[in-house]
Amino acid sequence: MSLLTIENLTIGIPRGSAAPLAIVENASLWLQPGEMLGLIGESGSGKTMLCRSLIGTLRRRGAAILSGRITLAGTDLAHTDERAWRDIRGRRVGYVPQSALAGPNPVMTIGAQLREAILQGTPGADVPARARELLDLVQIRRPELVLAQYPHQLSGGMRQRVMIACAIAGTPELLVADEPTTGLDVTVQAGIMQLLRDIRARLGTAIILVSHDLALVDDVCDRILVMHAGACVEAVPAHAAPRHPYTIALNRSRIELAEPGTPLVTIAGQPPSVGAWPPGCRFAARCDIAQPDCRLGPHPPMRGEAHANACLHPERAA
Amino acid sequence: MAMPERSSPDVEQARSRLLKKVTARLARAAAVSFWVMVIAFGLIRLAPGDPVLARLGAEAAPEAIDRLRHALRLDVDPATQFVEYTWGMLHGRLGTSIETQRDVATIIAESLPVTLGIIAVTLAMALVVAVPLALAIATSRRPWVPYLFRATTSVMLAIPAFFTALVGLIVFGLHWQIAPIIGYEPGFPANLRFLWLPALVICTHLVPVLSRVLHASLVQTRGEEFVETGIIRGVSRLRFTWFYLLKPSLAPSIVLLSYMVGVMIGSTVIIETIFSLPGIGRSLVGAVINRDYPLVQGIVLVFGLFVVAVSLAGDLLANWLDPRVGAT
Ligand SMILES: Nc1ncnc2c1ncn2[C@@H]1O[C@H](COP(=O)(O)OP(=O)(O)OP(=O)(O)O)[C@@H](O)[C@H]1O
Ligand code: SF4
Ligand SMILES: [Mg+2]
Repeated sequence: MSLLTIENLTIGIPRGSAAPLAIVENASLWLQPGEMLGLIGESGSGKTMLCRSLIGTLRRRGAAILSGRITLAGTDLAHTDERAWRDIRGRRVGYVPQSALAGPNPVMTIGAQLREAILQGTPGADVPARARELLDLVQIRRPELVLAQYPHQLSGGMRQRVMIACAIAGTPELLVADEPTTGLDVTVQAGIMQLLRDIRARLGTAIILVSHDLALVDDVCDRILVMHAGACVEAVPAHAAPRHPYTIALNRSRIELAEPGTPLVTIAGQPPSVGAWPPGCRFAARCDIAQPDCRLGPHPPMRGEAHANACLHPERAA
Repeated sequence: MAMPERSSPDVEQARSRLLKKVTARLARAAAVSFWVMVIAFGLIRLAPGDPVLARLGAEAAPEAIDRLRHALRLDVDPATQFVEYTWGMLHGRLGTSIETQRDVATIIAESLPVTLGIIAVTLAMALVVAVPLALAIATSRRPWVPYLFRATTSVMLAIPAFFTALVGLIVFGLHWQIAPIIGYEPGFPANLRFLWLPALVICTHLVPVLSRVLHASLVQTRGEEFVETGIIRGVSRLRFTWFYLLKPSLAPSIVLLSYMVGVMIGSTVIIETIFSLPGIGRSLVGAVINRDYPLVQGIVLVFGLFVVAVSLAGDLLANWLDPRVGAT
């Protein structure tokens, strides 16, 4: 049985009497306990919005779940009220917000923030002991020093380790990490990725790892979910050959694949922006193999179990 | 935080850095005060007229004028006068008022508390109104609220303070008679009866400026990613408001406020005149009219020291609330 299932989830901004503005439409995914899922897509494709629906912070961004279901080990997360969220946040779902630099509260010491996270995750815990244990888990040496420091006194990598320590303070079943390595050096990035794998191995935490970087996600995750303009287009097992034209294009544009001397392959055009989605497949304007039927009806849903694909013409893709 | 904060080398280092900063600021304050002194000394002497003529009148006998000029040691060259003045200052002597023959320090000690009282009451009023107002508007979900706020504050800023003061006097002082229109009684809380209306008048400009700046910072903070972590950690409403909204937003407002308070000591002269309050601003006006050199110099020096002290206090407070401020 899967730990998390999202079915046909639509997230949007309610606009009074006008139709709501959809930001994520009919998203579906599932996640096994202890599984690591990579979530990728261009900027604005709705990754962060999807993550926020898992931690219950859509409302403060003016957004809401318009339809669909989210189930976390039997608990309905789509119809959870603020009270119930309090028992879920930190305890069942851990969250590392986007950007290492802006993640921690700049006016609180690391110790004070970790304390809040510990008290939320495990009420009544022995805070100093648990803080030390968590910092040890995220491989921070000299914990006394770090606890007394403010975020701006730490390097980006250290900040992200602290954020991860806060997120796993309540040993959640699911950890959502929104672009935990964007803006960090490549070597620091590798360290954070290794840390996430360690946490998964030691605590059995399922992880959703959001990234822009297909290669990185392909390396560390079990499966990859690809989003484009608010829709899920492909869920592909790691190291498997992609089948959706968008993923194929993303894969081609990977820098390390570029032959020396040949121009870097990029994906032509921009994804349609929120509020201006055309009918049919939203990738059609950028797709080499688009057919007339691609531009009709609703966005094609993903089909398939182990390797799901939303392309209507997978046999033509290469 | 229950965790022991052992003082590590880095924490020590941060402390010594702060100490160095404060020392540097104090040294700067001393330099600024010296220049303020030089300028006050020079400017009042550059102005046409002199204290002897102001006292004796233009038709006085030349011998009388010479005698007084000699008695006041105004017949020696300005450089010597300045050295003597500085020497006296170093020994804590601000000199004697030419006009009233009273000790300058005493005059300042009498009138400064009135002005500080106006500033303190104004500050308290402005904070009590502006902070909750900015918070309420920044957290409101109704889209028309910020528009109404901006429109109202613009209108308030467009009305000149002296006009508001006169209207306030007519309405509260003459019509409803809930504010005294003249006189003053020193000492807290008796002075509050005389200070609330002047403070309210200054607040009609201070509150719009302060609440706008704070509102802008709050709106920026509200959108930051770290605010999400406060929600996720389920912190109490009060804790959330302080640690996740206000505290990260206050620094710009405090720096602005310390600047405005510094300026206020000079600009209260209009308010003091309209409300007939015996503050230091009014003393300065009288001293300038009479070319009362020692008194003018003493008061201008106090202004300078006040501005320097308030800006130092503002910086330290901003730094304490938001450690990012001092880091760069
Ligand atoms: N309150 C809002 N009103 C209108 N549009 C919004 C609102 N909030 C978010 N959006 C839009 O929703 C889209 C999805 O945003 P989201 O932050 O989920 O993207 P993302 O995939 O996480 O991008 P990035 O990689 O840049 O983080 C964006 O185009 C954004 O402009
Ligand atoms: S559905 Fe059509 S337009 Fe969309 S990716 Fe497949 S072929 Fe291209
Ligand atoms: Mg994002």
